[in-house]
Amino acid sequence: MAVQTWNAASLPSNDNVNPYAFSVDLDGRWFVQKGKMIAYYGQIRFESLSSGALDAFVAGAFNSPMYAGDWIVAEGRGKLLLADRGFDVNSFDLDEGNLTVRAGNLLAFEPGLELKQSIIPGFLTLIGTGRFVAASNGPVHFVEPPIRVDPQALLGWADCPSPCHHYDHSYMRGAFGAARMILGVGGASGEEHQFDFSGQGTVLMQSSEVVMNEDTLLRDLEGQISMVGTSGLQRLQSTIAQRLAAERQS
Amino acid sequence: MPGYQGINAKMLQVPVGPGHEVFSKRGAMLAYTGPVTFEPSATAGQGLGGALGRAVAGERSAMMHVRGQGTVLFGHGGLHVTVVDLSGADTLYVEADRLLVHDASLQVGTMFMGEQGGVRGMVRGAVTGQGLFTTTLSGHGSCGLLSHGGVMELPITPQRPVFVDPQAYVAHRGQVENRLAVSAGMRDLIGRGSGEAFQLQLSGSGVVYVQASERKI
Repeated sequence: MAVQTWNAASLPSNDNVNPYAFSVDLDGRWFVQKGKMIAYYGQIRFESLSSGALDAFVAGAFNSPMYAGDWIVAEGRGKLLLADRGFDVNSFDLDEGNLTVRAGNLLAFEPGLELKQSIIPGFLTLIGTGRFVAASNGPVHFVEPPIRVDPQALLGWADCPSPCHHYDHSYMRGAFGAARMILGVGGASGEEHQFDFSGQGTVLMQSSEVVMNEDTLLRDLEGQISMVGTSGLQRLQSTIAQRLAAERQS
Repeated sequence: MPGYQGINAKMLQVPVGPGHEVFSKRGAMLAYTGPVTFEPSATAGQGLGGALGRAVAGERSAMMHVRGQGTVLFGHGGLHVTVVDLSGADTLYVEADRLLVHDASLQVGTMFMGEQGGVRGMVRGAVTGQGLFTTTLSGHGSCGLLSHGGVMELPITPQRPVFVDPQAYVAHRGQVENRLAVSAGMRDLIGRGSGEAFQLQLSGSGVVYVQASERKI
């Protein structure tokens, strides 16, 4: 099998180079997640969102201070290659639409789109018109509601209402279930919790990703602490102290 | 009842209905439609004796009993999924970890490695990290196997035994005898070996499933 050699002119324009790499034909600005750029041709500068020079521009398209540290702006002309952990990379076009995607899997987007944090922790919502690039573990699978999806297998969703949590503990019912609960035998099915989608729209799925991005979850929690009052903070503190003590014992 | 349907290399769609229940690896459900329930299963389709055997053997990968009416998508950790259909004629030998999902209609058993190859079989179990026990599936039905990077199906004929790297071995079926072929020499002892000192020799008639990687699950 011959390996194709690319150059600045032959690299695809806004298309996949192979299933695992995407080539952006940059002329202007794109938002790119840190660490997802693997190579580039041409005159491209990478600026952090907080550099000051881009303040007005960033304020118009990037609406999530929590994630600002993870993103940079690529500015200039050239070909920009994006990839992520050998995951399948795909580009999607939005036309006056909205789509929510797992924060860690969004690689880049055009400034025509506006980025906001989703209500669901760890997800980002894109609104407007433009193109974005996202990575998935295995090819993306599109399904229609009503469907229940494992949180780790959820890549994102478009046009449908935000999901709600679904908990299934039906096997804990009945005499056998009571015995299971008291004796603690039999264990859990590992599938008690799903995201429940209903309404019109499309749900995007990937093959399960075992490693969750704990960092984004942590920052989501931190971001919500400001909503908790003094008594709540005290309760949180005692909960955390208990957890820490338990962790030290084990 | 339509059978298992591969959505892509890493995702499998399985219909569930009355009389068509399945057992699946714990935590391997990706999504489902319809009223489907997931119940932890201690026995995974075996009797109580079988469950004890499994516990002793360490071949106890937590399984769920999936029933109801609907469609379930399975996948695990971004690993490739291969569907194997069993027609009742032969038995599939597979490590419990690698079993993603199987029909409840299949008979599940645990086999002591010593039964296949005696002491050699036990040595093999210890070397391949497969344990001394392996899971067997027989009867009519389908199952989904996990592998890293997809599997190749290599036919085994009496004239043509197949040698497999123990780490790349996924499963096998048919009338197959396996033994561990050792080609270790002085060089291996001093750490200058080829790294391929042990091979699994499979002879008889059947099929062996080999993954395109040496990574274990």
